[in-house]
Amino acid sequence: MKLSASKLIVGSCVALAMALGAQAAQDQNLVKLGEKIFNTKKLGNCLACHDVNGKKIDNPGSLGPKLTGLKYWDDKMLYDTIYDIYKARGIKYSAMPPFGANGWLSEQQIKALVAYLKTVQ
Amino acid sequence: MVTRALKLAAISAIATMSLFAGQYNQQAEKDRQALIKYFVAKFSDPVKNAARFFPYTPTEELKKNYRPVKDWHEFAKGVYSFAKGPRQQYLELIEMPPYEDDVDDGEELYNSTKGLKECFPKPAEAAVEYPKYDTKKHEVVTLTMAINDCVVKHGGKPWNPYKGKIAKVEAYFAAQARDAGKVINVKIPNAEAEKAYEHGKKYYFSQRGYIDISCANCHVQGAGKRVRRDYLSPLVGQVTHFPVYRLSWEELGTLERRLKGCIKNQGQQPPKPFSEDMRDLIYFLSYMSNGMKVDGPDVRK
Ligand code: HEC
Ligand code: HEC
Repeated sequence: MKLSASKLIVGSCVALAMALGAQAAQDQNLVKLGEKIFNTKKLGNCLACHDVNGKKIDNPGSLGPKLTGLKYWDDKMLYDTIYDIYKARGIKYSAMPPFGANGWLSEQQIKALVAYLKTVQ
Repeated sequence: MVTRALKLAAISAIATMSLFAGQYNQQAEKDRQALIKYFVAKFSDPVKNAARFFPYTPTEELKKNYRPVKDWHEFAKGVYSFAKGPRQQYLELIEMPPYEDDVDDGEELYNSTKGLKECFPKPAEAAVEYPKYDTKKHEVVTLTMAINDCVVKHGGKPWNPYKGKIAKVEAYFAAQARDAGKVINVKIPNAEAEKAYEHGKKYYFSQRGYIDISCANCHVQGAGKRVRRDYLSPLVGQVTHFPVYRLSWEELGTLERRLKGCIKNQGQQPPKPFSEDMRDLIYFLSYMSNGMKVDGPDVRK
């Protein structure tokens, strides 16, 4: 009884670890995808306006703020800011495009951006 | 954040109110003065005024890369008025201006193309006569349109409004006007013309295209900042020097061509070169450069 119980525990630990590993790999891919979207002209082109703290960005613009401390933001706030900054902040004027509301980026792409931005110190 | 939004709201309130009737340029004059004031405040001491105008630009960069501009006439040089590095490159470039042959070609075309001498008896005047509100046709006529109409009226085929012959003739006109010290002086003769001005202004300040930003986002609030490595020029002075030889085009192009590029970057279909949107936009832009010397043709990146 005892033995099989501990076997069970060990077994589920292994399964959990494997699941976590897969999850981590998946997150890693999402972060990479987000980074690509951030830096690609035909995708997010975010670097046109933003530098990013701690990352190597190729000639970032200065129309928007240097992005810092985003790892402390919660996912929803980041998602909403990218999806539609006007609504997220209740503002009428911004140089920041509402990437989701205007259909330029998909939900999946914005989620990838969020994953990437969550790595920003 | 709120104060910033308010400030921007105030700018566009200035941009949409029309208080005075009678003198039809009164509002336009107010807009122009307000913009000059804004840009001089912004560029006269970028480091000192960073908190208000350059909240996102590192102080180091403001110190190293920005040249203070106190005289608004200097904005005719666009980005090269305030951005040190690009200014240096520009000064080296114009030691051998790449548009000189174009000016000569333009003079030849002017002399050899049927109708041009009749339509534009004084080349130096032509450069500052347009854009003008034609009170008989009830519409804004741009220089590009006037040249094209003239050529067609005299039996020729329409010219490409973006480059080639038109740009060359315009380069000749501009060079003549520059030599003669001509100053831009767009007029708003009646209420209809004022409407056209307001229409152009509205176009300029509205957020559009898939990226939902306005011309003003980049050339008023954004002026002096960078999109990637490209500095943004201020609205005042943006049309003093057309046609322009752009290094990225490797040739001369008209104002219509330049605008087409910016509007495309905003993610929308650019209006046709002789459409009302385009002509009224040019009318508004040109009024905002009133009081500045013609400085074309010139070179831009
Ligand atoms: C054309 C300019 C521009 C582009 C392109 C742009 N942004 Fe922005 N962004 C801004 C501006 C300006 C602000 C500041 C808010 C304001 O002033 O309206 C901002 C704010 C932000 C913020 C909030 C930062 C903070 O600390 O408050 C985030 C996060 C952000 N942007 C992410 C992105 C992402 C991700 C992309 C690309 C998918 C992007 N931005 C593309 C101009 C831009
Ligand atoms: C996303 C930013 C952006 C937007 C929006 C934008 N532009 Fe530009 N524009 C630029 C850049 C970058 C340049 C090249 C650098 C410069 O001269 O400002 C430029 C250049 C110009 C020039 C040439 C300036 C010169 O000195 O030769 C004109 C004129 C101009 N833009 C007008 C407009 C108008 C009108 C609109 C709106 C219909 C507009 N722009 C929208 C980024 C923008």
